[in-house]
Amino acid sequence: MANNEILDSARFSRRDIFRMGGVAAAAVGGSQLLAACGGGSSSGGSGGGSGGLLIHGTSGGSSKDTLDAHSPVQSADIARINNLYEPLLFWDDNYQIAPALAESIEPSSDAKTWTVKLRKGVTFHNGKDVTPEDVLFSIKRVADPKNPRSAGAGLSTFIDFDGTKKVDDSTVVIALKTPYAVLDWLFAEYTFGIVPTDYDPKNPVGTGAFKYKSFTPGKQSVFERYDGYWGDKAKVDQLQIQDFADANALVNALSAGQIQTMDNLPYNLMSSVKKTGKIVEAETGAWVPFTMRVDQKPFSDVRVRQAMRLICDRKQMIEQALSGEGSLGNDLYAPFDPSFASELPQREQDIDQAKSLLKAAGQSDLSVQLFTGDDIGSVATASASLFVQQAAKAGVKVSVVKKNPFYGDDYLSYTFAQDFWNTRNYIPQAAVCALKNGTYNETHFNNDKFAGLIASAQAETDEAKRKTLLQDAQEIEYNEGGYIIWGFRKQVDATSSKVSGVKPSKYLPLGNYKFNTASVSS
Amino acid sequence: MTDVVVTDALEEVAPPSGRHGAAAWASWFARRIGLAVLTLWLVSILVYVATSSLGNPVKAILGRDYLADKARAAQLTSQLNLDEPLVTRYLHWLGGLFTGDLGTSIASQRPVSELIGSNVVNTLVLVLVSAIVMIPVAFGIAMLSANYRRRRPDTVIQTILLTLAGLPEFVIGILLVAVFSTTVFHLLPAVTLVAAGGHPWDQPKAMVLPVATLVLAVAPYVSRIVRSTLLEVLDSDYVELARLKGIPERVVMRKHALLNALVPGIQVIALQLAWLAGGVVVVETLYNYPGVGFQLVDSVRNHDVSMVQALSMIIAAIYVLVNLIADVLSILLTPRARTAISS
Repeated sequence: MANNEILDSARFSRRDIFRMGGVAAAAVGGSQLLAACGGGSSSGGSGGGSGGLLIHGTSGGSSKDTLDAHSPVQSADIARINNLYEPLLFWDDNYQIAPALAESIEPSSDAKTWTVKLRKGVTFHNGKDVTPEDVLFSIKRVADPKNPRSAGAGLSTFIDFDGTKKVDDSTVVIALKTPYAVLDWLFAEYTFGIVPTDYDPKNPVGTGAFKYKSFTPGKQSVFERYDGYWGDKAKVDQLQIQDFADANALVNALSAGQIQTMDNLPYNLMSSVKKTGKIVEAETGAWVPFTMRVDQKPFSDVRVRQAMRLICDRKQMIEQALSGEGSLGNDLYAPFDPSFASELPQREQDIDQAKSLLKAAGQSDLSVQLFTGDDIGSVATASASLFVQQAAKAGVKVSVVKKNPFYGDDYLSYTFAQDFWNTRNYIPQAAVCALKNGTYNETHFNNDKFAGLIASAQAETDEAKRKTLLQDAQEIEYNEGGYIIWGFRKQVDATSSKVSGVKPSKYLPLGNYKFNTASVSS
Repeated sequence: MTDVVVTDALEEVAPPSGRHGAAAWASWFARRIGLAVLTLWLVSILVYVATSSLGNPVKAILGRDYLADKARAAQLTSQLNLDEPLVTRYLHWLGGLFTGDLGTSIASQRPVSELIGSNVVNTLVLVLVSAIVMIPVAFGIAMLSANYRRRRPDTVIQTILLTLAGLPEFVIGILLVAVFSTTVFHLLPAVTLVAAGGHPWDQPKAMVLPVATLVLAVAPYVSRIVRSTLLEVLDSDYVELARLKGIPERVVMRKHALLNALVPGIQVIALQLAWLAGGVVVVETLYNYPGVGFQLVDSVRNHDVSMVQALSMIIAAIYVLVNLIADVLSILLTPRARTAISS
């Protein structure tokens, strides 16, 4: 039982996840900077390139906005945090682990002791060096068992604080009570920024390429280039992050040249931006599945579940519910995981096969209710009505029931419903959604063999062996699972045509919000 | 509610009290203020009961975490004094209103007054500037229109006014943005970007489109009301007499007709301005203008009870105040009512 909690390495409340819903991959974190330190930047000015001001516009901000390194609420916070603070590792643009404040984090052979080698010469915005004490302080703050932050919810249940200590001026050892072979993933989350021992969110000191200047919740925040930055120094002098009430106002501001970048561009506004700006598009691992409870009729019969999966026309879903901005799903999550089972055959609509499976199960005239709600997001309601049409082709009558709120008391007990998830790798995702004690196990999936495979994979430091274990686990879900995962949406952001240096990233919008690589021509 | 008060006030002045001048005025004014305070007090009960009867606010704020996060639930419960009975809580809150303590925002844990202060000022300035532009424009158009009664210029003006009145303000706003900021010309900023500690009017150009939108949204109503009153007055006997006496038409219009058509104009302007103060969420959202409407929507979304209560009270207060001013002006501009009070 405790084991499952350990696995629950990225536990968010449903509300937290929902708030980050607009942001691809908000659940896991990190980023990459260009490897060359300050390479290519002009010698004029204090390390900058283009100079000037970059204004980033984002919608969803409110008086709940925060600068706290470890408790972001929505996309404006995520943008701020990624420029102020940095974790020990980064998820790079390709969703791979890259070094950041740590040069390396290596496990012992039993995956219970991890050695962190810190990068030398990294300073906080107040000029102080980053020391092992700061790292230990940050870990304790994030994984505080009494009040764990989003990045530390899982870690707090299995870290051994007695054995976690400083070795020398650039080395920290992290001890675990139980093995966890992918601990480095946790330390790459952007919500695991390293802060100094005297950290106070009111005076937000970090190591990022921009330092704090001013902040008004729900309105805007201003940052200045940090000239002591260890990596690629920012090209612009100032970064302003501006809250907007509405995406249309954002697009207008971008067209009028009042802001230079914006995130989470709604698909229907893409054409209006194309005329005046640049679209930044990236693949993500974010998914809006249909969820079938495997422990309740009619879905307790695996043939019914497989029939429902065969009913789904995935291409049509992407074409209509995502306006074509997505990639095909194969009823498996975590598409960027190195162990992703990409060899399994792509499932496609097969009405005949679905009908015969339903007939064999004695459910030829199946009629089910599909629960959905506006708080899942617009993709959910669009795909729900599409599924009704697709199911009718196989003689299945699906009626949509809109719940308000969907994430109310009935959440996790719907027989047939929808949900949404952001990008995660396989082990953290399975921990929350596919194990008996997973916080959000909405399909009530409970398979001993599957749980055993996940537990072994979690303790396995050999990557090849882990991959075999996880692919076996995915095959079980592919054949018996309760999810219909039809696709992964693309992240769409935009910049003005005067901005250069913003690259798409699979992890977070606008190249993980790392505005130090961006420059603005006048 | 305030409309009723308005007519009451006008009728109540009819019976002469027997007292003279200043004393009569003071007593009348005190009565009016008393009624305004009474209105606000009733509003405060409504606001408080409405925000409290929406179920347990802590449960609404925490959602699925309510059961999981006991500590936070307890902290919020004590912050909102939910363990006390409703009446005690109401009195506590009302007392706070009088001393200027509007409570603490649940979302940001900062004093409400600190959070809403600048937004209230921003909205008031937007409304005031719109009023200053709108009133002469609306009256000018009405006079022009009345002057050309039932002739071509009047028909054209009335058609345009009707069209504008029929368009929702966000449509007008979107059109203005497309024409002046994004698609056709690039003359004006599309949105308001306020620097930290600054005000929207620091960049006067950014005020142009929001003000223009509000003026276009409100002016047609005012203009049409003033025009129809003007026409009524122009047909009356005393205007006819003035004309017969040989007074030039321009003077007839300005001195005889317009002054008598002012009162209905003032009433409709007051209603429109009061509506602007609380009801311009759409315009604020479109232009990203940091005002109270936008903040109210944000607070409702965050289940920020104290913010919702404070903002509702402020909007109600603006309503009452604007109507009070309109009533006083109406009385002062109506000789019959004026003499009725002081005699």
